[in-house]
Amino acid sequence: MSNQNKPDVQVRRFSKGFVWAHAINGIAFFVLYITALPMYTEFFDWLYPVLGGPEGARLLHRIFAVIFCTPTLIYLIFDRKGFFRWMKELVTWKKRDLQFFTEFVKELFGFNFKHVRQTFFNAGEKINSIIQILCAILIIFSGFTMWFPQFFPRAIVQWGYVLHNVGFGLGIAVIVGHVYLSVVHKNSRPGYSGVVTGKVPAWWANDHYTEWYEEEVKKGNFPDLNDPKYKKEA
Amino acid sequence: MTKYIKYVDVTKCDGCRACMVACKNWNDLPADPQDFQGSVQSHPKVSADTWNVMQYIEHENGKGDLEYLFRHSACFHCTDAACEKVCPENAISYSKYGTVVIDQDKCVGCGYCVQNCPFEVISLKEYVDKNGDKYRKSQKCTMCTDRLEEGLQPACVTTCHTGSLEFGEESAMIKKAEQRVKEMKDRFPNAQVYNPQGVGGTHTIYVLAEKPSVYGLPENPKVPTSAVIWKDYAQPIGKMMIGATTMAVVGAFVTNNIISKRKALKEDRGEDHE
Repeated sequence: MSNQNKPDVQVRRFSKGFVWAHAINGIAFFVLYITALPMYTEFFDWLYPVLGGPEGARLLHRIFAVIFCTPTLIYLIFDRKGFFRWMKELVTWKKRDLQFFTEFVKELFGFNFKHVRQTFFNAGEKINSIIQILCAILIIFSGFTMWFPQFFPRAIVQWGYVLHNVGFGLGIAVIVGHVYLSVVHKNSRPGYSGVVTGKVPAWWANDHYTEWYEEEVKKGNFPDLNDPKYKKEA
Repeated sequence: MTKYIKYVDVTKCDGCRACMVACKNWNDLPADPQDFQGSVQSHPKVSADTWNVMQYIEHENGKGDLEYLFRHSACFHCTDAACEKVCPENAISYSKYGTVVIDQDKCVGCGYCVQNCPFEVISLKEYVDKNGDKYRKSQKCTMCTDRLEEGLQPACVTTCHTGSLEFGEESAMIKKAEQRVKEMKDRFPNAQVYNPQGVGGTHTIYVLAEKPSVYGLPENPKVPTSAVIWKDYAQPIGKMMIGATTMAVVGAFVTNNIISKRKALKEDRGEDHE
């Protein structure tokens, strides 16, 4: 499958609001991760001098904690429609979503697979979203109790430590897969440039999110790839 | 090694506060001026600069009598210490005497110990370095571990003139405490030995004249359940999970490379694919 067979038409997948919200979320997540790492495991204690001592790490962690709270608002304010489509897709589960996972495992390890028709978000992305939303809620609320223990009962602060730990442990484990799939994995790489520029190749969108693509074609937003003018191959 | 503990008989205490002075003196702790507390008590509780505080409690004993109760309060040096469990930097450890001590060089001032101590005896102190930057360290009673190392007893014990404080071999101290409780049962029916087992016993045991709650002490202190779940389950499982997903993506990367190489080889040979 070489690229000369593919029409190089690009289609808009993500709004600017989504792109910004996603980027801020990602950057804040990693700064928060790095600045807390020496407290999570002593193996990374060498990061303290890099981050300006425990005090520097704490200050950075708190600045980015506030930034970490903003992406939801950015997405909601600048792309309200996209936000609600995301929410709606997260609660919509059909047979095709389960079929996705068996094919996904094959694709992940590089075996032959067939595309299962998916909507705007595929089942894997939905699982990732759901877990990250839960983790963010856990982390943000427990972070409040840890930052301002004087305003909370002692037991709430003590349980806050556990929830912060659980939310972060689960979140980072899923992020490893999320980042691998976009940056490294060959079949989903257009997804990475897509989340930065907002645009993806039309053929790729048609392959990966068939149902969504066909809907947009019907609305007249996207080119119909079955149209002979896009068929360069014989 | 023989286990030594601190014995506090609150009924022998006359509230002279020499233990507070001796502690400040030996540990070189600065004065910690307070507003009037509404009683003769000097500080509401122990703090980063005041490692032991004399409590003065006016207690109605239920028979219409007023008891004026004193208690020398300081770190209990738990056998199973929550502060040691939650410290993310292993800055808190047990000395060879069983005392619980903070390594100030390792402490990062996160305050996890402050929030998890069942007796609320740890506090953060704010310092300013030579560049004017602020930093924090945890502080509490050390049971004068530096004195123990020199064969001396804790400063508060040495200075106590009523025999309310003693430092001695554990079984002898517990026996003494139980004997003392028997002696005072007529005068104080609620008298008891306070050596809470929820934290594995403590290295400071009390002979209390009243129920622990009268002194503001927890009746059944223990390492918080949250701390156990956090440190014994959540954190190790979290580390395993990131290990597992990392292995999965590394595995995926390797198999992808192998399979695409094989496919490329087949293409070179002109074999059909897909």
